[in-house]
Amino acid sequence: MNFHDGIIRLEKNNPGEKEFLQAVREVLESIEQVYSQYPQFDAVSLIERLTEPDRVIIFKVPWQDDTGKVHVNRGFHVEFNAALGPYKGGLRFHPDVNLSILKFLAFEQTFKNALTGLSMGGGEGGSDFEPKGKSNNEVLRFCQSFMDELYRHIGPETDIPGSDMGVGSREIGYLFGHYKRLVNRFEGVFTGKGTTWGGSWIRKEATGYGLAYIVRKYLEEHDDSIKGKKVLISGAGNVALYAAEKVLQMGGKVVTLSDTNGCIYDPNGIDFTVVKEIKEMNRGRIKEYLNKYPKTTFSENRSDVWKIKGDIALPCATENELDLGAARDLLKNGCQLIAEGANMPTTPEATEFLLQQKAGFIPGKAANAGGVAVSGLEMTQNSMKLMWSREEIDVRLHRIMVDIHDTCVKYGKNDDGYVNYVKGANVAAFLKVAQAMIDQGIM
Amino acid sequence: MDVNKIMTDLEKRNPGEVEYLQAVHEVLASIEAVYNQNPQFEKSGIIERLVEPDRILTFKISWMDDQGNVQVNRGYRIQFNNALGPYKGGLRFHPSVNLSILKFLGFEQIFKNSLTTLPMGGGKGGSDFQPKGKSNAEIMRFCQAYMLELWKIIGPETDVPAGDIGVGAREIGFLYGMYKKLTHECTGVLTGKGLAWGGSLVRPEATGFGAVYFAQEMMATRNESLKGKKVAVSGFGNVAWGAVRKLNQLGAKVLTLSGPDGYIVDEEGISGNKVDFMLELRASNEDIVEPYARKFKSGVFVSNKRPWEVPCDIAMPCATQNELGEADAQQLIKNKCSCVCEGANMPGTPEAVDTIQRNGLLFAPGKAANAGGVAVSGLEMTQNAMKLHWIAEEVDSKLHQIMGAIHESCVRYGKQPDGYVDYVKGANIAGFLKVANAMLDQGVI
Repeated sequence: MNFHDGIIRLEKNNPGEKEFLQAVREVLESIEQVYSQYPQFDAVSLIERLTEPDRVIIFKVPWQDDTGKVHVNRGFHVEFNAALGPYKGGLRFHPDVNLSILKFLAFEQTFKNALTGLSMGGGEGGSDFEPKGKSNNEVLRFCQSFMDELYRHIGPETDIPGSDMGVGSREIGYLFGHYKRLVNRFEGVFTGKGTTWGGSWIRKEATGYGLAYIVRKYLEEHDDSIKGKKVLISGAGNVALYAAEKVLQMGGKVVTLSDTNGCIYDPNGIDFTVVKEIKEMNRGRIKEYLNKYPKTTFSENRSDVWKIKGDIALPCATENELDLGAARDLLKNGCQLIAEGANMPTTPEATEFLLQQKAGFIPGKAANAGGVAVSGLEMTQNSMKLMWSREEIDVRLHRIMVDIHDTCVKYGKNDDGYVNYVKGANVAAFLKVAQAMIDQGIM
Repeated sequence: MDVNKIMTDLEKRNPGEVEYLQAVHEVLASIEAVYNQNPQFEKSGIIERLVEPDRILTFKISWMDDQGNVQVNRGYRIQFNNALGPYKGGLRFHPSVNLSILKFLGFEQIFKNSLTTLPMGGGKGGSDFQPKGKSNAEIMRFCQAYMLELWKIIGPETDVPAGDIGVGAREIGFLYGMYKKLTHECTGVLTGKGLAWGGSLVRPEATGFGAVYFAQEMMATRNESLKGKKVAVSGFGNVAWGAVRKLNQLGAKVLTLSGPDGYIVDEEGISGNKVDFMLELRASNEDIVEPYARKFKSGVFVSNKRPWEVPCDIAMPCATQNELGEADAQQLIKNKCSCVCEGANMPGTPEAVDTIQRNGLLFAPGKAANAGGVAVSGLEMTQNAMKLHWIAEEVDSKLHQIMGAIHESCVRYGKQPDGYVDYVKGANIAGFLKVANAMLDQGVI
């Protein structure tokens, strides 16, 4: 691969798509070395084929608001790569949605899904629809109109969307209901469904649990254990809460959590039942934790989490929440592992610094793959028309996370023994997708 | 309708799509008044729905060149609007192809197809593939790879593509063959097919024939016929060839032809075997008309000029876009030309069109006058659907009827208070109203 020519070609073919180009550039950089080791890749123009989505559908979504006025939104569906299985990725409803963002997400999804070891290709879809401020009925009508077009392109053996921003269990319900009316089949065409109509147990907990499992495996690899470790967690959503729950079960001590209003620090270990009550029962703010434990430290600056002394840091809130300064603080305070629960919470500069310092760092691509892994297991359960128990799924999720860890080690271990998990994840995923594409001919 | 607000929103949603935005702006400007007469259009969001394509498919085309290298191109199909019938529009293979150009062409096609009176919606497709310099086998493999994706979304009752730049009879053949192989069905899923395998007679001549019929209708509004009229024709390709043949049949005298090298003037008239010589000129692939003057003594070659300086009664630009400028228009008016009828797509510059109309000449825009091409494509669909071929006379007479109906619509919606018919406005309004009313009838889709 002439790296430079490849990038120029991409820029010419995808003008203005900065998120997509950035994502491709990052992956290409980390696989360049291994790519040039296998001349058969270049002989079949693998990079050109891997960076062009199999197909993109852009469609009109007309819908009536509660006053009877007709609105028009634009729907998108990117089917990026199906070398390993049916296209799989989320749907995002948000005014910022555009082709570049969805192509970026679908491209990343191709590799993340490859890492899970399950049969899933990569895709992503959505619309520039703003769900905020819409009535329930308007959301329903929009979802139905969206599905009027989408149903043609998806299917349980073809393309299985899941949820993403703006698409939760309510929207999945409306979409799934309309899909059934159109095709007259009850089948696993979505993941993230309610547990009474085809959803899987542990879907909600999956990302957080998976994160804790890969952390435990990392420590075992270093002849260490999570027992008694001080763990810094940011965020207070599903990922953060269930990562915290699992860490506690394993004997670790979670000392921080955060939400958009700020962060709490309890050196004695956070009382998980109280947090769960605040967040899941009352939908309140993390600050309310102080009502029960007044001695807890609260800071309005949520990034103060990274100033606390801890053994392990799990950024589980949002993108770019952990910057270079935070990374320096963490290492100075003796933090031995940073594992991403959120998508890209660590800035590129912070990531580069951590890798240079040979710190323990597991990127989201690997560490938070538990979510999509259990989506994959939801597909399996739908296909066999049987639901597994919580325990069964938990065992499988655990195994998948351990395998992801070992795969990263296999492809990311440097000569000096340091494991670059970023490189390991990218190379492993790439090789799997690339080999499958070669096996299946020109497509 | 607030044209400025619609355009601002549209620019935000379609950044950088210059060609498309311009096409929309032109249509909006000419339909604004009639749109505002029906408040139902606004309430039902007709404009918002009309400017957003029903769906766009872009896809990867991987194919192998003769050296065994894998090449990757991007394919497109835009299904713009099917209020009136299955999506219909050409496929273009050219390196300049991008989303904006195809959306512009697809949008225009909606209205042109609407004018034909036939049940056809609007669409367009293609690829950034460069056919030049490719071997026959490479063209075939590319067409097959293209169809490998396209077949899923087209069909004789759904979407019927045709040729355009870079897609001729050869490519339609390769595409059609692959479609049949994939679906195991012989249906009229493409138009422009070979005569032996589902094509229609009169398809090659259709655009030229239709343009002449349209000129005939226009002259009739002034109680004139084509008989004995002197006609300046530009171009020497399919459209010009068809026009010259029909003009001769109807008793007119064709004085000129043109190519990129200049024009031919033949005061004795271009008829008989001189018309057939046009085919030889084209087959030579040299893209010049000068050999005509060497072959026929009556022909004079004028180098590097356009034929509009030759005194004529009717001018038919059938060559290319922007070939008839403001000065040419002035010259035609000075020479007492009474009618300009566009066989090509947008051959008249906006200034020239304005001058021609202001001076009261009959003027037919390509949108209306050259719709005979797509009309016969529609008739090809009809013949495929009923699994029978019409003879040439049957197709020709239907084409004649259709051109008459298009003319009538233009007059109906384009007649000004002073009696002058603005065919540009008439064509836009007639095309739009039919689509808009069909959309209203069919609910929010």
